[in-house]
Amino acid sequence: MRTLVFIVLVYVVFQIIFLSSQCARLSSNDDNLIEQTCKQTPNYSLCISSLKSDPKSATADVTGLALIMVNVLNTTATRTLIHINSFLHHIPSPKIKKALLSCANMYYNGIITADVPVSIEALTKGDPKFADDSTLDAAKEATLCEEGFSGNSPLTVDNTNVNNVARVTEAIVKLLL
Amino acid sequence: MEDTLPCSYSPLPNGPPTIEGPLDKRRPRTKATLIIFSGLLLLLASFLAITIGVHRNSHNVHANENDEALLATSEPPSVSIPLEPVHPVSRGVSAGVSEKSNLAFADHNAISYPWNNSMLSWQRTSFHFQPEKNWMNDPNGPMFYKGWYHFFYQYNPNGAVWGDIVWGHAVSTDLIHWLHLPLAMVADQWYDINGVWTGSATVLPNGEVVMLYTGSTNESVQVQNLAYPANLSDPLLIDWVKYSDNPVLLPPPGINKNDFRDPTTAWYTSDGKWKFAIGSRVNTTGITLVYHTKDFKSYERLDGLLHSVPGTGMWECVDFYPVSKTAGKGLDTSVTGPGVKHVMKTSLDNDRQDYYALGIYDEKTDTWVPDNPNIGIGIRYDYGIFYASKTFYDEQKERRVLWGWIGESDSEFADMKKGWASVQGIPRTVLLDTKTGSNLLQWPVEEVDSLRLSGKEFDKVEVKAGSVVPLDIVSATQLDIVAEFELDKEALERTAQSNVEFSCGNSQGAAQRGALGPFGLLILADESLSEQTPVYFYIAKGTDGNLTTFFCVDQSRSSEATDVNKQIHGGYVPVLKDEKLSVRLLVDHSIVESFVQGGRTCITSRVYPTKAIYGAARLFLFNNATEATVTSSLKIWQMNSAFIHPFRAK
Repeated sequence: MRTLVFIVLVYVVFQIIFLSSQCARLSSNDDNLIEQTCKQTPNYSLCISSLKSDPKSATADVTGLALIMVNVLNTTATRTLIHINSFLHHIPSPKIKKALLSCANMYYNGIITADVPVSIEALTKGDPKFADDSTLDAAKEATLCEEGFSGNSPLTVDNTNVNNVARVTEAIVKLLL
Repeated sequence: MEDTLPCSYSPLPNGPPTIEGPLDKRRPRTKATLIIFSGLLLLLASFLAITIGVHRNSHNVHANENDEALLATSEPPSVSIPLEPVHPVSRGVSAGVSEKSNLAFADHNAISYPWNNSMLSWQRTSFHFQPEKNWMNDPNGPMFYKGWYHFFYQYNPNGAVWGDIVWGHAVSTDLIHWLHLPLAMVADQWYDINGVWTGSATVLPNGEVVMLYTGSTNESVQVQNLAYPANLSDPLLIDWVKYSDNPVLLPPPGINKNDFRDPTTAWYTSDGKWKFAIGSRVNTTGITLVYHTKDFKSYERLDGLLHSVPGTGMWECVDFYPVSKTAGKGLDTSVTGPGVKHVMKTSLDNDRQDYYALGIYDEKTDTWVPDNPNIGIGIRYDYGIFYASKTFYDEQKERRVLWGWIGESDSEFADMKKGWASVQGIPRTVLLDTKTGSNLLQWPVEEVDSLRLSGKEFDKVEVKAGSVVPLDIVSATQLDIVAEFELDKEALERTAQSNVEFSCGNSQGAAQRGALGPFGLLILADESLSEQTPVYFYIAKGTDGNLTTFFCVDQSRSSEATDVNKQIHGGYVPVLKDEKLSVRLLVDHSIVESFVQGGRTCITSRVYPTKAIYGAARLFLFNNATEATVTSSLKIWQMNSAFIHPFRAK
């Protein structure tokens, strides 16, 4: 009896291990799609780390991966907007203040209010070219924000990050066209 | 051989020393005063706008839960700094001109974005079709019905960026003076709830109208739907009915649910059925599927593909129509026969450009064979910004008319500020170029001539190599220009051959001097030429001694703004022996359309100057060639506005 219980237990344990690995194989991208996709973007490591930060990437198709990147873009842009605000609260010089206000406008009215929702809508509805336009636009806004400080930017890290995320997103969107 | 085409960077002749005397007397003083006065008025207006904007903004500092909510969605709530500089604008509300006050900060302080209200207002066109506000894209279902031209378009009623797409509708009696009508179709059914996308009209011989369009379903599947006018006796066709058994077509097996859109106008075939084509793709091969139907309700897919080209991705907005080999008239979509070639046009999702190829269609076997087997995806309709185009047959004037969507090339941020995005190109007649036999001729419909106001002629103006000649005209923002250029023959013969490959896009624009070009016009230029958009010919003499002509639009110095695209667009122009070089330009604020050699090559550009606007915009002839003197004759008309406005019943 004991042996039988043991055998059954061993069987069940094996079955669980086997099944779970089988499940994982059936439902996950096995990292292959993520890697293949990221190889076609200008920033492989950023792409990998961004996509893997979202568990949904394991089962997503390319459209899903693009959507995850758009979410990352939204988060990154929103974080930058928060940084802009905290800089504004530290009584910047008038010149820096002007540039910060201009950036806040671009980040809010450009990326967060226009580029991100347009990209999401275009990807979910299946007309990705509009996501292509909008992610390119987001990359441009970040660059313009940075240029507004004429070399004296407190936002270099943020802007570079947003620009990189936007360009990776755009590269993934391009795969859908 | 070396040194034949000096290509080192050398800027356009700039500034007063090289500017020759004006050809005509200067602007009368009274006009200058008027301009200064209106400038002052504008200043006052923008001051008021800024004041109001600041005032409004102060409200928003107190009430910006929108912003905080926005932060909360993607960041932990520990961050709750009020976003004082930004004005909460939901994308659902269009940021119209009046709302631009939210950008008072940007207007006043912007470093990267020097746009102010008067600059942005200037960008709106006067005689091109635009909705009153918000976003527009593809032309849809153009047709002529009971005395009216109907024009439908992809429209976002809620904002100046793409999304929430429905069908806008306008009518005119002349393709120019449009009247806005209520939305024709909105997203109100499960099969188009995610978007009432692009479609085409077919007018049946019995006078019925069939509209076949793509719907994006509740599950974002692209399906084809049928709609028809509720009341055929209403020439305005205001009300539309969606067929009760929609959708009429689902993506066929093997076709992705997102790759099945934009049905063509149907054509009638000898077996008593209607056929239509629709673009798709299999992996990266762009394809055209064909269906036939008797009643537009049930359809059958025909075997094979009308056309396919590997590596081109999704084909959108396929257009398929006949052109006559001989007559200067357009043909109904159903015409076939030995005197006819068929144009296959597709819009490529992946580069947002329209391509066409000429070929022979056999309606019995449903095959279309391109004249030139090596043509690939084809020739570009337009080397600038021109996409998702669509033709219709105008039975009233026996012509085929082409519509095309002209997008923006500024930032989406600027579009939100303007409160609108996109225009439609002036409708163009399309004919086969019987002289070359290998390309189409596109020309603005004749009705646009009715907008011509005072004209001015300049006869045989000599423009020496390396010079700029101002053309004294009243105003330079709404123009119809017809210009001819002749090169001095001696220079043509003297110029040595070169194996240097030229292309507009890879050149340094109007600053790249060659022996035989660039020469042409500087449009939307300010007096000091700090902003200018050169539109020009460039002739290259190949190693075989043959001349190759290009026409380019150089936007690299078109604006001092940093957030606009400044590409150099252009392409090859077929020029036959003994032909003069000629171009027609339609300038309408931020849009410039160029029709070269009777419309063999077309280039549409969007230009966003910051200084060369209103009364400060000037027009110049230029010749930046190193060798050749150019003689130019021009006719220039001031253009009236088309006063496009909502329809009011008389």
